[in-house]
Amino acid sequence: MNKPNEARYYVHGVEVPQTPPARAKDQEPWDETRVLGEPLPRVDGYERVSGTAVYPADMSLPRMLYGAILRCPHPSAVVTGVDTSGAEGMAGVHAVISAFTPEDDTTRPHDELIRSTLFNTRCRYEGEAVAAVAAESPYIAHDALRAINVEYEVLPFVADERRALEPDAPKVHETGNQVSDTERYERGDVEQGLREADVVLEEEYRCECEIHTPMEPHGCVASWDGDRLTIWESTQGVYNIQTQVAASLGVPLSKVRVVGHYMGGGFGSKLQAGRYTLTAALLAKQTARPVKLTLTREETYLAVGNRPPSNMRLKAGVKRDGTLTALDYSGTGTGGAARAGGTSLLDWLIRDLYLCPNVRTELTDVYVNAGPARPFRAPGHPQCAWALEQMMDALAVAIDMDPVQLRLKNVPTVSQGRNGIPYTTTGLQRCLEEGAREFRWEETKNEIASGDLNGDIRRGVGMGSGLWAGGGGGPPSTAIVKIYSDGSINLNMGASDIGTGTKTVMAMVVAEELGVSHEDIQVEHADTGTTQYATASGGSKTVPTESPAVRAAAIDAREQLFEIAAEEMEVDVSVLSLRDGKVVATGETPREVNVAELQGLRRRGNITGVGYRGPNPSDKAVNPFAAQFCEVEVNIKTGEVNVVRFLGAHDSGRVMNRLTYQNQVFGGITMGIGLGMTEQRLLDVDQTGKMVNKNWHDYKLPTAVDVPADMTCVPIDPHDTECNTTGAKGIGEPATIPTAAVVANAVYHATGVRITDTPIDPTKLVNALAAARGGE
Amino acid sequence: MLPQFNYVRAQSLEEAQQQLSTDGARVCAGGSDLLGCLRDDVFDCSKVVSISSLNQLRGIARTRDGGIRIGSLTPIAEVAASATVQETHAGLSQAASEVASPQLRNQGTIGGNICQKPRCWYYRGEFHCLRKGGTTCYALAGENQYHCILGGYRCYIVHPSDTAPALLALNATVHIAAPSGSRTVPLDEFHVHPRDDPQRETVLQGNEIVTEITLPAPPPGLRSSYRKVRARGSWDFALAGVALALAFNGDQVVSGRIVLSGAAPVPWRSREAENAVIGRRIDAATAREAAAAAMEDATALKRNAYKIPLFKGLVEQQLLAIAGA
Repeated sequence: MNKPNEARYYVHGVEVPQTPPARAKDQEPWDETRVLGEPLPRVDGYERVSGTAVYPADMSLPRMLYGAILRCPHPSAVVTGVDTSGAEGMAGVHAVISAFTPEDDTTRPHDELIRSTLFNTRCRYEGEAVAAVAAESPYIAHDALRAINVEYEVLPFVADERRALEPDAPKVHETGNQVSDTERYERGDVEQGLREADVVLEEEYRCECEIHTPMEPHGCVASWDGDRLTIWESTQGVYNIQTQVAASLGVPLSKVRVVGHYMGGGFGSKLQAGRYTLTAALLAKQTARPVKLTLTREETYLAVGNRPPSNMRLKAGVKRDGTLTALDYSGTGTGGAARAGGTSLLDWLIRDLYLCPNVRTELTDVYVNAGPARPFRAPGHPQCAWALEQMMDALAVAIDMDPVQLRLKNVPTVSQGRNGIPYTTTGLQRCLEEGAREFRWEETKNEIASGDLNGDIRRGVGMGSGLWAGGGGGPPSTAIVKIYSDGSINLNMGASDIGTGTKTVMAMVVAEELGVSHEDIQVEHADTGTTQYATASGGSKTVPTESPAVRAAAIDAREQLFEIAAEEMEVDVSVLSLRDGKVVATGETPREVNVAELQGLRRRGNITGVGYRGPNPSDKAVNPFAAQFCEVEVNIKTGEVNVVRFLGAHDSGRVMNRLTYQNQVFGGITMGIGLGMTEQRLLDVDQTGKMVNKNWHDYKLPTAVDVPADMTCVPIDPHDTECNTTGAKGIGEPATIPTAAVVANAVYHATGVRITDTPIDPTKLVNALAAARGGE
Repeated sequence: MLPQFNYVRAQSLEEAQQQLSTDGARVCAGGSDLLGCLRDDVFDCSKVVSISSLNQLRGIARTRDGGIRIGSLTPIAEVAASATVQETHAGLSQAASEVASPQLRNQGTIGGNICQKPRCWYYRGEFHCLRKGGTTCYALAGENQYHCILGGYRCYIVHPSDTAPALLALNATVHIAAPSGSRTVPLDEFHVHPRDDPQRETVLQGNEIVTEITLPAPPPGLRSSYRKVRARGSWDFALAGVALALAFNGDQVVSGRIVLSGAAPVPWRSREAENAVIGRRIDAATAREAAAAAMEDATALKRNAYKIPLFKGLVEQQLLAIAGA
């Protein structure tokens, strides 16, 4: 598979249409902006904070029933029988379906690699769906699940991917536990590179499996009206859901409407229709009533995605002057019991982040009896950074070079992972230099070096960099901007706002072009019935994909408006501009007319501008870059780590909204601290294979006191005029890529102890620190 | 989802006890632990008996002899913030402020906190473990990174409370309303070791209710403290904790207790560590010696060996801190 395209994971398994080229004429890069870049509050802030925003989990329809799914409690089992009679007889229960009822001929054709029915009788992970019910209340539904008797033949399992390829490991699938041939990449001559090196280091690293745990659990409401189905889904992309549901149910796209106005977080785990979506649709059809199916928190831990665990080995060679001579890397991972990208993009940073002529990577994806992976905020990248950025830190120590300088020495000029095509812009050098300056990197290192070592607290600083394989966006996208007869504006686009501020940013783009306040723009979005086609919001590409289409639509509408105005004002269109709801004509006799007073507009009712997303530059790569820095204090007797401050310097092109940009950076750092310091899925690998921490207490997300109050966002804008017509690149994923490794490097700087397995907490650190002190 | 149960809000202690006499009845104070157990199906429950209306069980007061009386329904947040507690028994205030999260400290009660069910994920999860009437402790051969290193016997939980170790160090007494009247139990004897019964955490009988906890007047020169090390900064139980209550004469320790949390199935009084400091001045060597003594009998399971150096470091740091205070 072509690696760069794999970053388009957000459209995996769905057909993506082409859109025509943008037709608006004037799409020159902006020089100065009036609205964009400002720290403006969200257009839907009131709705979100006041509670009037209706998320799918809040939905309530007349006569609505509640669905619930019975899940296999074993990591590997055969369902030999399902006795639903107890549930069927319960008052308030309206439908019970299982592998043994006729509804289960529904297959999931969107899962191109492993076709399966809705309910499998061969369960390959804890949490696989076995049966489902619809009932008058969630409580009755769950009581009904308890009343279903399932006979299982429990089979041997393998839950630890490090044991999956052992000869006696139980086979997850009949074909064996390796998903496909080991994927290999090579350029240059690694052996020669290692010989040329002054220093060669080799290390093994591991990142634990993480769960997405969005605030709003996965779920939907399904409602039929005759043969027309409407689904309100907590999703990152309504068109993905529509495509997959229509194909699975064998109905035309025009019969399936998917609405996703608000959603409480996805992080990559809500790009696709769930089995629960189809289950809700089938239960609704069977009962002829709307059905709401919201997963329990426990179910979301088991069955709707994770960031795969990664085991990595890296051997690296460097010359005394900091020149990298070789990177030799291998990684294994698992997407669970499905072919779900267990090693997806796990070597991209090795291939592309630093100048290095000799690179070899190999990736091996294996099956285990555990829940399927799904894309998780920059698939593969934070794990690869955990290895590469710690290795760079160790190399810097070994050749006695500052780690910022070592990276500056190896800033790439072209995308080596893509056969040397250039990036439109690379802000990596500026991220490193300006980030280090703002952080006071040198000064802090000197302070620490001259500080006293009494007491049990040690200070340290660490840094790391990164890039994201995606983040450039691209076609297709269609947007419509309407100018109503009174001059007010409607923006219509299909994109989901997954909490990042998409609606706000797009309203700002329209405001920029049409001279109105972004708060006065009505935004319609994320509804397959009423809005334009958009790919799912994933891959850090929503802004670079949608904003050019929105801009083109706004310009198209403006050009039409100016034609009307020029005629009525008897001037040439070239002298017209828009300001505060007025068409302004410059020239010898400056004049202005309220848009609302244009007779031509009043006669038409409104103007409809259409915009499409044009193509990306051919033969150039569009990537965001990052450098992050942090300071820690470590208690060397207890292994407690206090992250004192964090700084993210990011080149994600134009800053569209300073507030939402900063939110992404702080959120990405917070999530990276989770990977580096607190989070891990724990399976009972030696006994039952079951997950032991499938709740928000035992699965430890960082809390407000685990992340520093002192966080700084340093935007680097290289004024990219080639990447697209708005100059923006993605920020959501790059913001979390180096973070965990940066913490590890700071802990090393503070203590001299390097922790190569996540998470860094006292359970790991205190042993290592005691060993380093010796004799305890 | 919660299972079905009946709900009674008792208007008097007598009514509460009467309601609790039914099989399958459970007492509910703050409910923060009970609701989790019910949702996770940890035990059967046919009736929840709330005692939240029994206002006589709330409040903190100085006793005539200079001790403190704390009603069992007093919110943990109130114990943490109490000037009375801080004045003479600072270690308890510190322990209370380390409990869970702000919301849980407002909702949870001090009585409930010492009666908590263990947080072992096998006990809370879908595992029919020894403590739930099964035959196996899954922790022994399983994911035991948060389990005990002292006092394990057939069951390897750690006691989850932060306040109980501090109360034990401060020599607290538990007052219990029993059908036959009331009785008092020293906190030393309140928790049940798995050796005696792996299915019970406290000596409470089904229809008994903790009504108050009393602390004796502080001995002259008493200093107390509590510190907890955890994997996450809030809403987390102790990986290791230590409650100190030491009476000093000058710089010499004359008496006192050292109690560990996160170490054993019950709040764990370390007489070994106490013996290493009583009668001595605490300097770096004494602190290290006492810390080593506290871990003398410790045995690690497969995944929790870190606890031994952790406790050593923690006890050492806390002893030096209290001596320097």
